[in-house]
Amino acid sequence: MFLAPNLIMFTVFVVLPILGGLLLSFTTWDITNGWPKWVGLANYHRMFSDPLVWQAVVTTLKFIVFGVVPTIFIALGLAILINVQFRFVAAVRSLYLIPAAMSYAASAVVWRYIFLDGPGYGVLDYVISRFGVTPPDWLASQTWALPALDIITVWLSLPAATILYLAALQRIPDSLLEAAALDGAGLVRQVRHIIWPGVRYMTVLVAIVALLSFTNGSFDLVNILTKGDPLYATQTLIYYIFVNGFSYGFFGYAAALSILQIAVVGGLLLALRVFSGLVRR
Amino acid sequence: MTRSTRFTRRIRIVVAVVVGLVLASPMLYMVAASLMSNTQLSVQPPQVIPSSLHFANYSDAFTGMTQVIQLRSFLNSVIFTTGAVGLQWLLCVTGGLAIAKMHFRGRGFVTAMFAVSLFIPIITTLIPTFIVTYELHLINTYPGLILPIAAQTGFGTLLFRQYMRQMPEELFDAARIDGASWWTIFRRLVVPLAKPATAAYLAISVLTAWNMYLWPLVAAEGGSLQVLTQTLALVGTTGQGEVTPQNVIFASVVIVTLPMILVFVAVQGAFIRGLTGSGVE
Repeated sequence: MFLAPNLIMFTVFVVLPILGGLLLSFTTWDITNGWPKWVGLANYHRMFSDPLVWQAVVTTLKFIVFGVVPTIFIALGLAILINVQFRFVAAVRSLYLIPAAMSYAASAVVWRYIFLDGPGYGVLDYVISRFGVTPPDWLASQTWALPALDIITVWLSLPAATILYLAALQRIPDSLLEAAALDGAGLVRQVRHIIWPGVRYMTVLVAIVALLSFTNGSFDLVNILTKGDPLYATQTLIYYIFVNGFSYGFFGYAAALSILQIAVVGGLLLALRVFSGLVRR
Repeated sequence: MTRSTRFTRRIRIVVAVVVGLVLASPMLYMVAASLMSNTQLSVQPPQVIPSSLHFANYSDAFTGMTQVIQLRSFLNSVIFTTGAVGLQWLLCVTGGLAIAKMHFRGRGFVTAMFAVSLFIPIITTLIPTFIVTYELHLINTYPGLILPIAAQTGFGTLLFRQYMRQMPEELFDAARIDGASWWTIFRRLVVPLAKPATAAYLAISVLTAWNMYLWPLVAAEGGSLQVLTQTLALVGTTGQGEVTPQNVIFASVVIVTLPMILVFVAVQGAFIRGLTGSGVE
């Protein structure tokens, strides 16, 4: 049977971990020493009284919301900008899409130098200070470390989001926009009344794709650049799970936190669904 | 076209090019810095154009005191990427064919399961996936590195299912009447016809696998199975980073990213089709 190999692998490494993770969350387990011990809801009790958990949830939500929302609007703007035909359009579009080839790890290394603090050191601080603004301390600052990670992740998420929007834009007939332009509708009104409603289904998809990539990216960048510092300001839930599981060896507790993580992402997807339903009406 | 619209069109193209350069600037800076001398990199204010080209940075990344990249890690990344993607491709094409064209009980359920798995990336089931792999005694082995990732078949299976559903039913009926087995149909008919879908699938999966950081981090706890994303993650943060000159670090990032930039440029169209499931170029 053709499906069998796929399904077996999928069951062992995807379904089993999801169900096993649920069971594991009711146990404590020192993996090197015997079998898990059933502790009921103890991990969940502990979770509710662990202040770092709530800080991590808030950090995760901030990281995702302040990343996904800009991604949506910037990507739509970029897609509108490059939805135009001219001779070198393919080459110019490549400039927009090429960051998709970068890993979070590689980006982390490059951006670490871009974010380097002090106007004489990092490129970004130099540019900012040229505008007469004092640049923040980026990765070392409690306020700016998380936005800094957001900036990197937005940058990495833009190519896919822009591609998706470009596909949606190309389904809006040119004649519609031309007619609107003849009626004297400026760019702002065209975007509001024709483009935004025209791509709203894609907006939902872009939001989902971005949400998932921010969930993934939050680990790579945090582990490489900040380790959750300064003072837990960048400790996302994913990272806290990793620390509990692989630094402290609390596998049961980490599994319970993973259930919370799935609930958080599920909740965001649900919120997105409700929100997009409201927008449609 | 009137003069004023031609004028706005020109402005729009100029803006599109400038914005594209800004978006690509971290990568352009990475390439520039990889060719600078270390003296130039430490000059204040920061420079962006190499005053002379230091190609030796690239060989320094592989050899001597400044070595960042072990050939073994490079080989590991190649083995991991080809192994995971190759195996996953086989699972996805066969599984996609089964779900698209064969009739069996539970087909709807299986399809739904694959769809749901898209929203539960491996990062959220990291702990139990690690335990499954550990209990199979596969930690620190190539199969342990490859199998759990190859098993993430949700996206690929659904992609191929979507594509194969559009293949005419008569084609399969005719082949069946001629006495062809499903295996023959698979090899002679499906694989050649699904080439565009395969290209789209490969474009996305190869990038994902090469750039993956979290799973290799836990499945190959350092040691000899380390892949390139781990190499990059360690550079500059440890004692090793203090002796590694910045320009060599940048050269290393370019070396690690270059294969994916080449892949991306070669299959950009397929990448876009894979994301959008459409004919957008």
